[in-house]
Amino acid sequence: MLIRSMIFKEWVKVRWFLLLYTLLAVLAVAYIFIRVRHDITFHEANNYWYFILFQGHSWFRLLRYIPLAGGLVLAVAQYFPETVNKRIKLTFHLPVEENRSLLMMMQFGTLCLLACFLLLFLLLCGLSRVWFPTEIIFSAVVSVTPWFLAGFAAYYLAALIILEPVWLRRILYLLVAAAFVPLYLTGSVPGGYGPAILALFLLTCLLSVALLFSGYRFRKGEM
Amino acid sequence: MLVAVMAAATALPQLYWMIFGKPVRTPFIMYSCVDDLFMIQRTGETMVREDTRGNQYTREEYEEKLPMLYMRQLMLSGTMMDTIRGIAIDAREVNNARSTFRYKPSDRYTPDPGLYPLFEAESGRANLEMPEDYFRITWRMEFTDAKTNKVDEEKSRLFSAALYHKGFQFPAVKIAGIPTTRKSCDEGYLVVDAAHQLFHVKMVRGKPYVRNVELPEGLRFEHIACVDFRDRLYYAYLIDKGGETWILTQDDYMLVKLPVGSFNPASEDMRIYGDFFNYNVIFNGDGFVRAVALDKDFNKIDEYGETWKIRMELPEGKAFTWLFPGTLKLESPNSNFLKFRVEVNPVARWIWLSLALAALHFLLLSRGKGYTLRKNLTGHLADLAIIVVSGIFGFLAVNIFPNRFFD
Amino acid sequence: MDYAIECINLTHYYGKKLVYENLNFQVPEGTILGLLGKNGSGKTTTINILNGFLQPRSGRCLIYGEDSQRLSPANKARIGFLIEGHIQYSFMDIHQIEKFYSGFYPKWDREPYWELMSKLKVTPHQKISSMSCGQRSQVALGLILAQDPDLLILDDFSMGLDPGYRRLFIDYLRAYAKARHKTIFTTSHIVQDMERLIDDVLIMDYNRVLTQRPVEEFMREFKQFSFELEDEKAEIPQDGFVTNLERVKDKVELYTYQSEEFVRGYLHEKGIAVREFRQVEMGLEDAFIGLTGKY
Repeated sequence: MLIRSMIFKEWVKVRWFLLLYTLLAVLAVAYIFIRVRHDITFHEANNYWYFILFQGHSWFRLLRYIPLAGGLVLAVAQYFPETVNKRIKLTFHLPVEENRSLLMMMQFGTLCLLACFLLLFLLLCGLSRVWFPTEIIFSAVVSVTPWFLAGFAAYYLAALIILEPVWLRRILYLLVAAAFVPLYLTGSVPGGYGPAILALFLLTCLLSVALLFSGYRFRKGEM
Repeated sequence: MLVAVMAAATALPQLYWMIFGKPVRTPFIMYSCVDDLFMIQRTGETMVREDTRGNQYTREEYEEKLPMLYMRQLMLSGTMMDTIRGIAIDAREVNNARSTFRYKPSDRYTPDPGLYPLFEAESGRANLEMPEDYFRITWRMEFTDAKTNKVDEEKSRLFSAALYHKGFQFPAVKIAGIPTTRKSCDEGYLVVDAAHQLFHVKMVRGKPYVRNVELPEGLRFEHIACVDFRDRLYYAYLIDKGGETWILTQDDYMLVKLPVGSFNPASEDMRIYGDFFNYNVIFNGDGFVRAVALDKDFNKIDEYGETWKIRMELPEGKAFTWLFPGTLKLESPNSNFLKFRVEVNPVARWIWLSLALAALHFLLLSRGKGYTLRKNLTGHLADLAIIVVSGIFGFLAVNIFPNRFFD
Repeated sequence: MDYAIECINLTHYYGKKLVYENLNFQVPEGTILGLLGKNGSGKTTTINILNGFLQPRSGRCLIYGEDSQRLSPANKARIGFLIEGHIQYSFMDIHQIEKFYSGFYPKWDREPYWELMSKLKVTPHQKISSMSCGQRSQVALGLILAQDPDLLILDDFSMGLDPGYRRLFIDYLRAYAKARHKTIFTTSHIVQDMERLIDDVLIMDYNRVLTQRPVEEFMREFKQFSFELEDEKAEIPQDGFVTNLERVKDKVELYTYQSEEFVRGYLHEKGIAVREFRQVEMGLEDAFIGLTGKY
């Protein structure tokens, strides 16, 4: 009951943002494949493969900042309404342990992002099977995975920043985030991210609980 | 907290070098076939051209010492000699003998494409054409047609069988070739199989050509770079696990070890300039350059080396070692792979700054709110430990994410 | 007697600025306590500490015996909390918000909520953010009533309300609390509202508590005397019994807990001649100003 209510509140906040974002992101993936189809027809498939395999052409690069944007949109949609008039007080006052409510919010957001990203990811992989062999798809997967992780990292960091009660700290966190998030988005040759993915994944998991810190500071009356 | 330390450890050193970094200029060393010694050209605020005996030269004199390299310029200014070492110089022959090769660590440490185009080696056409399909060598040699994205079963079976009959152990662990139509002719691929055997694979009039290359016992290759030079003397430069360089001769498949000494292919560059008289092999690493001159039969004639202070020993590098414990980065100039690389500074000077910052932090704590110090002793000890270990990065992180726990 | 709220030696500073030191008060179960004080005297600070949004420098508040910094979910379910300005999840409409909160409280009773909602002229899917302040206050109140808490903490409930809504709010609340033996802890900056609502009054000034007693007793005991001085230059000694003294030239307002006889006798004794000596009838607001001073 309680979990359903919590999900309901989060859903009311994010639904339009999430749906709109998903729609736009799906359109972006569709555009990627329209491009691929066009380029294959105009340059011949073997030449197009050649650009990808040996000249580092990344046919999916449009996707680079899309998960990042998704994480930010979701975080703003979900946490900004909580900070208006310090509405987070209402959430903390619910008969639920405070950290648990924050974690439920975070988990909800994570699941939303996961669902959305999974959809994009499956679309990308599924459609690319029509035109590309596994080698090309695999290197694309290695390249886009950190971008999707960047979406999660941005979401977690944005939660931390939005919920933080003190403006000065927000700016400091923002600086940290600005130095950290580019680690996920470094331009590299397709497939070059392979050895870093596990470490990035673990770091992203660590980041997921960062919002508890802001929540704690809020409850202890930092203004 | 960890994230803040990491963010600081990535961003600050980057910023530091952006502001204070100076380029390290490597001298250009080349063997002179006229004087039989090495010529050195140093770029910098003033250009210096000299030889290993310390004689200084003007640009024109310098170029005349290296007629194989500057032939076009010398011919233009009419100073090209007719004979060198008693041999009459023919411009076409000189051009034919010229070859340039460069190995960088990132050639080796880069994602494998996994798919390669197999050109027709004897198509009877003047220009090479990009094939319609690409091959992979996994549990068999498999051709995938690009237009349909489907495996060509017949061709795959044909080539797989040919490899199998020559004793190829699937899958391939290394496939080296020149996958471009912009070369004089196609010589297919050099393939290392799962049993470390070396094979030469090409397609001749649609049929597979497979040749097992005999290797000295225990030879393992780190990197293979196929070359396409006009003199068509050898297929490739091969670098073994010990950092020795080999060539594989054309047609008779002889492996010849170059007497140039070993180098570290993970961090050092190798350049090989071939000309009518010599091969110049130049190794370039952090703080040193080493040049070896070989004759046309790959015998060593001469060697010359120089070292200089590496970045960390220069004033700005020393300051860096005072300020920062090290650097965290994803990228490396020696690899196209990204992973977290922690470069701890060679000298532990930063520990002083760390201790000073820890002391400062302690002072701030005990002055500002003495009572919190006692209340949260373990938390503050953890902070201090972080500062001592990660220096300025930790100091920033601790102050951005204050470890302030209330009761 | 059981206390719903008990604050012990509460001390808090903002930075170096002292808010209060060693504040002690109790709210017995079933009473309605009004916390009065000027702006900045620490009303909101107290509310924040009670709700666990602020860690006091020292001391603690107990709510039903539990430290307010670490309230258990079960205990939080017993507390209804009205945030200053009737803040609610304004991105929801009245149906959504009722559905949302009903998931948290086992005792949820939608009757009083819909009873109040039926009086509001809002469309069923109107977002709370587009409602007027008065309507929002009714939503917030309705939610608290539906929650059926034992303790209601109301932070400045009168803010932004029309006099009509204010009266409605107060009357409804008092009737409700008295009928069901609820405890209410409330602040308001409009003191005259409080008179109709509260049983006990707690008046705070900067750094200290001026009084805590039943409001009836306070109104009975605390008096204002006004008189004019014969001699404009006469000094009135600020002895202990004088709580506050306002003087404009020869006109004096004297606030005290002492009786008329005592004051007259005192003036006589000091040889201060006065005319038009009388006791002035006060409302709660007058008494509040009398106690805390006009500045």
